[in-house]
Amino acid sequence: MRPVRIAVLMPAFNEEGRLARTLAELGAFVRGEGSSQVSVFLVDDGSSPPIDDVAVRNASEGMRVVVARHAVNLGQGAALETARRLALEPRWQLDDGPFEAFVTMDSDGQHQPSDVLALARAIAEGADVALGDRFAGGSAVPASRRVLLGLARAFERATTGLSLSDVHNGLRAFGPRAIARMRIRQNRMAHATEISHSISRASAERAKDDQLRVVEVPVSVRYTGESLAKGQRASGAVAIVVDLFHGFLFNPHEPRGPR
Amino acid sequence: MMQAEVTPAAIALVGLLAALFLHDFVTLQRNRRLLLLQLVVFAIGGWLIVYPEVARRLAHFVGIGRGVDFVLYPLVIWLVRESLLSRRRRHEEQERVTELVRAMAASGAHDVSSLAGACGHSSRRAPAHSSGVSAS
Repeated sequence: MRPVRIAVLMPAFNEEGRLARTLAELGAFVRGEGSSQVSVFLVDDGSSPPIDDVAVRNASEGMRVVVARHAVNLGQGAALETARRLALEPRWQLDDGPFEAFVTMDSDGQHQPSDVLALARAIAEGADVALGDRFAGGSAVPASRRVLLGLARAFERATTGLSLSDVHNGLRAFGPRAIARMRIRQNRMAHATEISHSISRASAERAKDDQLRVVEVPVSVRYTGESLAKGQRASGAVAIVVDLFHGFLFNPHEPRGPR
Repeated sequence: MMQAEVTPAAIALVGLLAALFLHDFVTLQRNRRLLLLQLVVFAIGGWLIVYPEVARRLAHFVGIGRGVDFVLYPLVIWLVRESLLSRRRRHEEQERVTELVRAMAASGAHDVSSLAGACGHSSRRAPAHSSGVSAS
């Protein structure tokens, strides 16, 4: 298989040991696979204590890891946006050429390294956006999560018209054309909805050449007690709706641009 | 000549105004202009409380039933508007803080594999900037 130049966009907030485990697993998989070049853009979203560079380095053999720190905690959406901008900066491109696939991945170990590569391959094979679908991937999604995600899906379908199986999965991959159009303005958890809105808009562009090709790839998500405790609760859904309303009111729709 | 209506409620409300003014007089001493403005607004408020007939006559003059509604309607409009404006201001502040924090993060971004003793990656550019490395 042709090697792919992959940028992994990874926000992290107080992940402690889970981050090192996630990086070590990803690194081991990349070394085993042997051909792809992976650069991780790790954004420490104001963790206390801050992410330990030496621990990150020791855990990430075989990959390049670029660490950036938010001086204060801003939220997952803000950290993803910081990672996205870093990955587009000329100084972090590889000698062999710019990145071909940009994959967003959680730092708590719930995403599988093999799925990261699978999504990147889908991009390398011509898709603009590849979305992980945990329902097709045979993950043991807890019942409470299924209900919440079902509601989120219905909300997306009603507001964007985009019929996706798993809109709130943090595992997504974008090609260069798509990532340039995925500017995130929602600092907190509403960014997932914001991203699906951007994808929806971009996949329904009037001009055929501007339309993004979206595919769904089955992935598996590991639910652990820790990841569930840190994940979204129903009360968070209210905060997301409030954030979306603020965004709707105060973020004017911008014409398409590189940022 | 209008009659002052000194009810228990009027005494309590005017007392509250006086207490608030006294508090701000102590804490805002340096800002004389703000204090003066507050004194004028509170004085008008106190006058309307003690002489409700003033608001009642003004209300009837413009076709509003009760004197209290004459004060309430503009107040609600002003509060709703103020709340929206302050939300927008907070949103804009938040965006500015975000961009500031992001700019700091970007300028301090560093490649950890270039730390001493790192195992190399075959294909990368030398980082233009590698400060902010901490090993806590």
